[in-house]
Amino acid sequence: MAKTSRRDFLRQLAFAPKKSADRADVLVCVFLRGGADTLNMLIPTSDDLYYSTRPTLAIPAPGKGKKAAESGLKLDDFYALHPRMAPLLDLYHGGKLAFIQGVGSDNPSGSHFEAQDQMEHGLAYGQKVGGGWLGRFLQQANGQQHSPLCAVCIGPSVPESLRGAPSASALRTVDDIQLHATLKEQSVITAALAKLYGADTTLLNRSGLDTLDLVNKLHDLRLVKYQPAGGADYPKGDFGNGLREIARLIKANVGLRVACLDIGGWDTHFFQGTAQGIQAENIDVLSKGLAAFQTDLGTDPGKVCTLVMTEFGRRTYENSSLGTDHGKAFAMIAMGSHIRGGAVYGAYPGLKQQETDVLGPSGLKIETDYRSVFSEILESMDSGHHERVFPQFQSTRIGFVNSSRTS
Amino acid sequence: MKQDDTISRRTILKGAALVGGVSMLTGCERASSLLTERMGEVIPDSVAESTSKQIDPAFHLLSRAGYGPWPGDLEHVKSIGTIAWINEQLDPDKIDDNAANFRASRFETIHLDGGTCFEYKKEVLFNEVARQSLIRSIYSKRQLLQVMVEFWSDHFNIDMSKGNCAYFKGSDDRTVIRKYALGNFRDLLKASAVSPAMLTYLDGNENKKSRPADIPNENYARELMELHTLGVHGGYTQQDVSEVARCLTGWRIQDKWQRGKVYFAPELHDDGEKEVLGHRIAAGGKEKDLDSVLDIVCAHPSTAKHLSEKLVRRFVAENPPSGLVASAASEFTRTNGDIKSVVRHILTSAEFAGAAGMKIKRPFQFIVSSLRAVGADTYAHNDVVDYLKSMGQCPFQYPTPDGYPDESAPWMAALLWRWNFALALTNNQIPSVKVDTRKLVTALGANDSAHPMAHPSDQHALAHASVQHPPDQHPSDQHPSDQHALAQHLMPHFLGRKGTRLELEALSPSAPAIISAPCLIGLILSSPAFQRC
Repeated sequence: MAKTSRRDFLRQLAFAPKKSADRADVLVCVFLRGGADTLNMLIPTSDDLYYSTRPTLAIPAPGKGKKAAESGLKLDDFYALHPRMAPLLDLYHGGKLAFIQGVGSDNPSGSHFEAQDQMEHGLAYGQKVGGGWLGRFLQQANGQQHSPLCAVCIGPSVPESLRGAPSASALRTVDDIQLHATLKEQSVITAALAKLYGADTTLLNRSGLDTLDLVNKLHDLRLVKYQPAGGADYPKGDFGNGLREIARLIKANVGLRVACLDIGGWDTHFFQGTAQGIQAENIDVLSKGLAAFQTDLGTDPGKVCTLVMTEFGRRTYENSSLGTDHGKAFAMIAMGSHIRGGAVYGAYPGLKQQETDVLGPSGLKIETDYRSVFSEILESMDSGHHERVFPQFQSTRIGFVNSSRTS
Repeated sequence: MKQDDTISRRTILKGAALVGGVSMLTGCERASSLLTERMGEVIPDSVAESTSKQIDPAFHLLSRAGYGPWPGDLEHVKSIGTIAWINEQLDPDKIDDNAANFRASRFETIHLDGGTCFEYKKEVLFNEVARQSLIRSIYSKRQLLQVMVEFWSDHFNIDMSKGNCAYFKGSDDRTVIRKYALGNFRDLLKASAVSPAMLTYLDGNENKKSRPADIPNENYARELMELHTLGVHGGYTQQDVSEVARCLTGWRIQDKWQRGKVYFAPELHDDGEKEVLGHRIAAGGKEKDLDSVLDIVCAHPSTAKHLSEKLVRRFVAENPPSGLVASAASEFTRTNGDIKSVVRHILTSAEFAGAAGMKIKRPFQFIVSSLRAVGADTYAHNDVVDYLKSMGQCPFQYPTPDGYPDESAPWMAALLWRWNFALALTNNQIPSVKVDTRKLVTALGANDSAHPMAHPSDQHALAHASVQHPPDQHPSDQHPSDQHALAQHLMPHFLGRKGTRLELEALSPSAPAIISAPCLIGLILSSPAFQRC
């Protein structure tokens, strides 16, 4: 059976758009799993309490470290970046990267799973609404026909945030998406699977048809070897590879709207480290990856926003095993050509006035509900729908997205 | 063969690699297989299958309380009856499992203590414990025990990639999970609490109070209640988490002399009075504080409910029927946490009987049930483990303490890998797995004479078939109705029921789109019905 007839056959089954419209905005969500200690990433160098409550873990203010490589990197008179965030410094000063300080959810449990779950579902504590926040967004986005590749997670499984999306795929690389059989067998197999999955009445129905369509769509893409633009140098490992695959999908114009990617290992109860150590290595990979991704996208005309989030911050003080325990507010990172970068949004809550639980101080005070950050991004991608994405939530405008570029 | 597509070229390269003998069953493995065949690990000459339109109850039982039938298992269960089979499985020590033990005996590190494992590379440890898990799930006759081992491995999840966990998971699997999988929950919990793997994974090893200013590490204390016992809404507070953390201060793992051995260091223990879930624990309890905490959480009604709910979800339905959860919880309480009794209660319930074909297999179950259904001969090398990785369920590598999810939605995105595994398996293209589809088809009583090329009974034949026969010489002398008949014959073995008209139509395309018998079996394994159990 000829290739074209197989593809035509699959097209008849697929609900994907046949023509690729002008590229829509893309949101890339990076989730730092485990509750990242952003106080050691966006460092409040003018707050003496930071240094007195973290005698071994604090990052010295710019120029104050024993070695230059141990000191923070100056952002302004108040904040400095972790030394391993150097690759992000130019992006910040070049106006493409911003921080939003004091973000958090009202989840009181201190549980990674509860806090991640609540955040991925985009809800207030105890609120029950179906689907993840990105899933609901994609479902409701302005009368668009969705591509089976509208939502992609680079990793082993689809995150909760994409629950309810018209389609969501977990993959490792674009090259993975193929059926391992001879051409002749492929046509028979895909036809049989289309019939079998087409008639199924469970979750398998949609997943099977989506998968068949995906195979078809990526057939052409994988024939071309991917060359990152602008000499972008992605760090080795899952995170760098994942971002490269996302850039590849964005440029291939296959209908991607939302991509999710995780970095684990931020639950630094024990021996967190400073300029070196467990957290520093994670920060290094994160920063190099984000910088390479932005370089690779370069002057690409489409709007791509990268949002870096975590489920909660950590306590402001270190514990006896040279780590930090679960806390409250954290800082988010937003990056992209339409981000009003070069600024830290959100007031610094200060270490004096903290959230408390029965044990006393439990972390940075939450000044901004995380859904306000999400709302502002979604509003710039597709206006007028965030009420249904975040029911009963009144968002507060932060101003980190350049709305003049919003269409 | 004309190739204008990278997929097919890759397939050919695989075939070529096989001819070169790069990775097939080794000589030693072939000898082992001859021995295990004598122990009964064979496809019987004749295999009876379901003749009903509904999923056979014995098939259902084998699919949930085990990893699906090995050819011939269905007859065994039907002949002794489901209740007798359940009782047999609940007494695993009485089941002769020499063949599976023999296959798994090649892995050295799973028999060692954690300290000795430091002499091995982490890759070796990762590899052996994952392969053991596959091998035992495929070949063990103690199927229910294996299913419970998988259940508890998720419940007491250890991610081997964290810290030193790789060195300790092998002994955790042997002396905690396997040892108590069908025992008493309190014993299992205690074993887990002082397992070096758990002390490492959830930072118990770092939890100390040696100076007044020391703040205990709460990680294990929280997960003990949130995940292992009461459940997240089980009625504990942050105060309880903090008090339990205090109780559990001082447990340590030796890191020099007697490396890996767990001990209690009184000088690192907070020996003051504590209050946990309303129970006072007097000062001076030292290491007994741990037992006090475990007694309190095990006796808490939320624990019976939480565990019953998880077990019912695993065995019966993704949305556990509340009546069965309640009665299983009563059974748990009545028997002071006897796991066998609770499992027996669930497997003999009406809810269980009515749930055939309603669950979706997780990747591990899909892979193991496929290998069992075709009676595969394998030692589960990395090529098999890699499929599990791509589907997101490599044993003991789930990063967070809640274990691999038991819902179906998170696994739905990886269907393509399932299809690719099924097709590679039945076409003998997974180098370390050998499948005799010809023997299986014959045993199932299907007329096979129309398939002269259809059964690459060994690797060489396959490679030749792939490389040397252009498409126009592909066996197409078969009549479409033959394929229909073959599909009709084969489906009940894999699905526990007859194929529906729609399924048979889908699998019997009109000429010239006739496919080989291995490919047809691959398609059955790829079908939605085989993804369910």
